[in-house]
Amino acid sequence: MSEPFLNAKHRMLRRTVRAFCEQELRPIAAEIDQEARFPWEVMEKMGSLGYFGIQAPAELGGAGLDTVSYAVTIEEISRVSGSIGLCLSVHNSVALYPILAFGNREQHQRWVPGLAAGKKIGAFCLTEPNVGSDASAITATALPEDGQWRVNANKVFVTNGGIADICLIFARTDPAAGRKGISVVVAERGTKGFVVGDLEDLCGMRANPVSSIRLYDCMLPEENLLGRTGQGLAIGLAALDTGRIGIAAQALGIAQAALEEGVRYANQRQQFGVPIGRHQAIQMMIADMATQVDAARLLVYRAASLKDQGEPVGKAAAQAKLFAAEAACLVTDLAVQIHGGYGYSKAYAVERYYRDARVTRIYEGTSEVHRMVIAREVLAGQ
Amino acid sequence: MSIHSIVCIKSVVRTAPDGVGRRTPENSELNPFDRPALEAALRIKESLGGTVTVLSMGPPVGVEALAEAQAMGADRAVLVCDAALAGSDTLVTARVLAAAVQHLAPYDFLFFGTRTSDSDTGQVGPQTATLLEIPFVSGVKQMEPREHAWEITRLMDDWQELWRVNVPAAVSIHPRFFAPRPIALGGIALAHDHLDVQNWRLADLGIAHDRAGLAGSPTRVAKLQKIVRKRSCRMLSGEPKEQVEALVELLTAKGVMGS
Repeated sequence: MSEPFLNAKHRMLRRTVRAFCEQELRPIAAEIDQEARFPWEVMEKMGSLGYFGIQAPAELGGAGLDTVSYAVTIEEISRVSGSIGLCLSVHNSVALYPILAFGNREQHQRWVPGLAAGKKIGAFCLTEPNVGSDASAITATALPEDGQWRVNANKVFVTNGGIADICLIFARTDPAAGRKGISVVVAERGTKGFVVGDLEDLCGMRANPVSSIRLYDCMLPEENLLGRTGQGLAIGLAALDTGRIGIAAQALGIAQAALEEGVRYANQRQQFGVPIGRHQAIQMMIADMATQVDAARLLVYRAASLKDQGEPVGKAAAQAKLFAAEAACLVTDLAVQIHGGYGYSKAYAVERYYRDARVTRIYEGTSEVHRMVIAREVLAGQ
Repeated sequence: MSIHSIVCIKSVVRTAPDGVGRRTPENSELNPFDRPALEAALRIKESLGGTVTVLSMGPPVGVEALAEAQAMGADRAVLVCDAALAGSDTLVTARVLAAAVQHLAPYDFLFFGTRTSDSDTGQVGPQTATLLEIPFVSGVKQMEPREHAWEITRLMDDWQELWRVNVPAAVSIHPRFFAPRPIALGGIALAHDHLDVQNWRLADLGIAHDRAGLAGSPTRVAKLQKIVRKRSCRMLSGEPKEQVEALVELLTAKGVMGS
């Protein structure tokens, strides 16, 4: 079946990424989830193959691919391991992308080659203990002092936090200026005052070392400011527009994996003398799952394709993220249901998919925040 | 030393056809047995310098397999594509490849996979070498340049042979010894954004239409039929030692084990 929005390049990319993930990630996917272990041995290979710089230009060491390619790549990785899909989605879209989009030439030279080769891992530090959906309420500060930034921040739920080398810190550079006083400064691990907190013990995505990152009177060079002072929220929103496509692709990959396992089991498991897929109750579930996955895929690729064409992508990305995340939760739930008691056991992959899917409705903007974004644009006639 | 290697590749159908085999971009891929051949050529290029040309004959969908070879590192790609080629058997395929190879000369090595995953004849490599009147070594495990010739090791079930050959020569590569490199994402972008596949037609090669396609083929496929193999499961009982003995007996009786 031919897929809309995909050309020969995207098809080859899908075959390539799928083959790599089946060979390298599939054998360890359950184990790294159970052990909450970040698989450096595979990540180093992915670094040398361009997975950490999907859209970075070739002259800065990236793979130079488009947004649809990015979505296909994250989808395929997440089909095997949601945790690793998460690592690469965040690294590529909300750490590397803002540096490419808002960084100056010196910053590109300084940070992009290491990030694109996977030698450095990126993180996006916006969320604080009391700051979630309302990003404008952040309390972290980065105050100018002797040509440097004195940064104090308590950032939580940082994806890749335990392994991140280059962190985008959202902080107030002008505490009196409200929303317009927020900026982004880049903090590198190893700087004095840069502290990685304990890893979170999460329900899903367990192979990703999510942690807090705290900066205590951390002095960062003046040239670590990304973009202009006061541009922080704009950078954050632009990054999240791209990030949403990645998370949507991730949810899509998890849903696809759950659909495949559901179909396999429905054809294999016998009850009442026939494979359970012959029973209409199971058929109804399979039909819903396949339709949800297809619809999610169309929305994700459409958003990515619009971005490649330089079109505004806010609403389309929000719709893709909302729908794909909700679909992932529904489809993984049905996959568990098809598996019955076995689906509730860690011996079967759908148990992991079910846990991994849940957070896609929460991070990089909750489903509710995305509905706000969509409604605002629809009501404004866009 | 600069080595020009030509790697003959095929775009194969991924799933077994039933009735009529139709090739679409979605069900086609680069023959998995050609990847080790390409890998072998790329390794020679890396150690001695030179160029790798990939050559394929087939319908337009073959462009994707050639692009994949370019993503792995091939420098140049040629597709011989002509409506008059439909229905070609292995002899015509070899005739066309041999003519194309002569257009690409001079060359040092002509690489083939040991077989294709869809038609599995293993005939095209040896036939092409025969038509070109060059030496052919099959099932190659290792290739080393020596002062006056190449030393080529080929592997069979229980022994190996060392051949000394002069180039140009043709080889088919044993899949076990040249594990193909994974494709880098940057290679995919490069291969597609600067896709450069030369299209040759039969007229370019000076081959008359009655020497190609069904008309030129001494053999033809009369029927394609999918075979569904039945698997059955049999449980052995008793102590582990008894189970092992029973299993060995069974496998020996079926000819899987024993001498």
